[in-house]
Amino acid sequence: MTSMASYQPVLSISKPENKEENQFDIYEAFQRILKDEQMSPPLAAILALTEVIENSNAGTMFELVNALKDGAEILKHRTPNPISLNAGCELFIAFVTLLPHDSANFLDLKRELIRQGEQYAAEALTYRQKIADLAVGFIKDGSVILTHSYSRVVMQTLLLAHKRKRISVFVTEARPRGLGIKTAEALTAAGIPCSVILDVAVAYVMDKVDFVLVGSEAVVESGGLINAVGSNQIAIIAKAANKPFYALAESYKFHRLFPLSQYDLPSHNSKILAFTQALQPDPPGLMGQNPADHSGSADKSQIKMSPGLDPHPPVKITQEQICQNNPNVDYTRPDLISLVFSDVGSLTPEGVSQYLVGMFAG
Amino acid sequence: MPPDRNAPYNRTVEVLASKLRRRQIVGSRTTALETLLVLRQVVSKARFSNFEQLVEIIKTVGHRLVEAQPKEHSVGNTVRKVLHHIREEYQTATRGTSIATPKAQFSIAKFVLQGQPRKQITSALKSENRGTLKENDPDDPDSFARSLKPVLMEALQDVLDELETVYDNVSKNAKDHIHSDEIILTLGMSKTVEAFLKTAAHNRNYTVIVAETAPSYEGRQMAQSLSSAGVSTFLVPDSSIFALMSRVNKVILGAHAILANGGMFAITGSQIAATAARAHSTPVVVCAGQFKLTPLWNLYHEYAALDFGNPDEVLGFEEGQLVDKVDVVNPYWDYVRPELIDAYITNDGDHPPSSIYRLLKEAYDDEDTEL
Repeated sequence: MTSMASYQPVLSISKPENKEENQFDIYEAFQRILKDEQMSPPLAAILALTEVIENSNAGTMFELVNALKDGAEILKHRTPNPISLNAGCELFIAFVTLLPHDSANFLDLKRELIRQGEQYAAEALTYRQKIADLAVGFIKDGSVILTHSYSRVVMQTLLLAHKRKRISVFVTEARPRGLGIKTAEALTAAGIPCSVILDVAVAYVMDKVDFVLVGSEAVVESGGLINAVGSNQIAIIAKAANKPFYALAESYKFHRLFPLSQYDLPSHNSKILAFTQALQPDPPGLMGQNPADHSGSADKSQIKMSPGLDPHPPVKITQEQICQNNPNVDYTRPDLISLVFSDVGSLTPEGVSQYLVGMFAG
Repeated sequence: MPPDRNAPYNRTVEVLASKLRRRQIVGSRTTALETLLVLRQVVSKARFSNFEQLVEIIKTVGHRLVEAQPKEHSVGNTVRKVLHHIREEYQTATRGTSIATPKAQFSIAKFVLQGQPRKQITSALKSENRGTLKENDPDDPDSFARSLKPVLMEALQDVLDELETVYDNVSKNAKDHIHSDEIILTLGMSKTVEAFLKTAAHNRNYTVIVAETAPSYEGRQMAQSLSSAGVSTFLVPDSSIFALMSRVNKVILGAHAILANGGMFAITGSQIAATAARAHSTPVVVCAGQFKLTPLWNLYHEYAALDFGNPDEVLGFEEGQLVDKVDVVNPYWDYVRPELIDAYITNDGDHPPSSIYRLLKEAYDDEDTEL
């Protein structure tokens, strides 16, 4: 990431003593915690921040909160897709600033904060089960479900539903990472009838589907959903076909963000959707000729296009280039979402904002 | 405490349960009132020496009543409401005496759930001594119940008052919703809607079109009642709802139960009226007391939510030779989706379907959703 390279020196200048005294690297801690299969980025971020507290020699609340904010900044800039870990960072920092305390001893307070963070992370690991229990009530016997990409909470829900009901699942391939195949393999291994469909075949399959079930990267203040790219188009098609679109989100993924369009997402950058530059500019003489050629006959232009004959050298587009040019996540408007299942209950998309306002407003 | 089959309140509970089961008591407000009266007896007669026992007793009774008639949702709602109120009373009564400090219990999970912590006022709390409230007193196990019962009875009285004044409170602002020379469409015979329309008639001169609401034809009663109150009334067959909709300014419906997603169960025909209204962009408002708020999400997924009326109304026995040749079904309720409803007019303000969820959170405790 270019932004990362430009950012880091600034940090080391502003906090030189930090670098020298303790070699604690929050990003490394974050990566280490994430190695746990069950850990999700927001929780790993919270745990990484507790380690910041542990390693910080801050003597006042102000310094501590600053250290946490710096840590969160580093994480944000070094991770390619910071949205969900941001939600965790914000939650923990808000909690730290708001924790009512009457501590005479700052060390005790720090210890208490670390304990709270760890306790929450442990507790939050049970949330997926809670959500699965909740969502299974909405799955009728014999349901055909469409899901997108791979999500642990969706997996858990589907596996739980499979124990009690007959379900079958369509899963999108979810290019470019192809995580849908991972979902399909796991579901098939568990004995759930499952079929991988192309991302472009969602509209084709929608009539056969009872409802759509997706996980989430974050749920934002409007009640909209940020999830693996493709979720938005599935939601639009589901809406057009009058099928319910359910999102599953642990409450630590509620994120105080209010994107109005895809391009407001923090993950959007100038590389995404950039047009490929022509390798060499057209010679001015050809510019005038080309339109005449094309208008001549379709066959002629076909020949022109074939490699070797035309003035343009053949262009190869690699998968990597396509990946670079494309977003990882997209934003789904709240009016396309039927319900958000979370550990705090089944919410209408509007219901999510109530929790965010409770935590961050005022 | 195991459910006490010989408890002094047992008989009243059994009587109500069997009446509910036999459909001798129907209608959401009636069942809510009856449930409340039984619960009042239960609370006054029950023996308990700590709060958990009391909650357990009420839950057990609630469970029996809900099991007796799961389709009358207001039974369960009343039980939940009562539980919520007695918890509140208990908390105010014990505040100051309990040792648990709120600070020690604060955690991130709580923060997510309840939002920012309240400003600490505990230090300024009056050191009012409520030492009389002692749970699990070994010498006098009834002392807790004796000292708590008066406040509990008051709390129950509050719930009762709310139920008794529900029609007045819903129709309080009727004249703000209905304007002069408007044409209103309604159907069925909802007491709430009836009171609402009649109250509006005190101030406004307007016209009501009542669909007769086959097969119960309750609309006919409604039309009679309204016209005898001096409202200009038309009675029309259900089949003309769509045709008339272009002339209608507003559709006013009653509800049987309001669900957590903002949808509702209402008399059959409501779905037709609401869909027709949507096609003409006519506003649909629903008049209902808040005791109809039901904290359930997935009712509309389950066929058990369907309630069937008497098939005799559709195909009478005079058609005897046909009866064994056709299946006659007479579903009683329609499920109306939240998207089709513009507003709920309740006894406590007007709300869009999207905020029903929040009302539920305020009215009931989460732990009571499953009785």
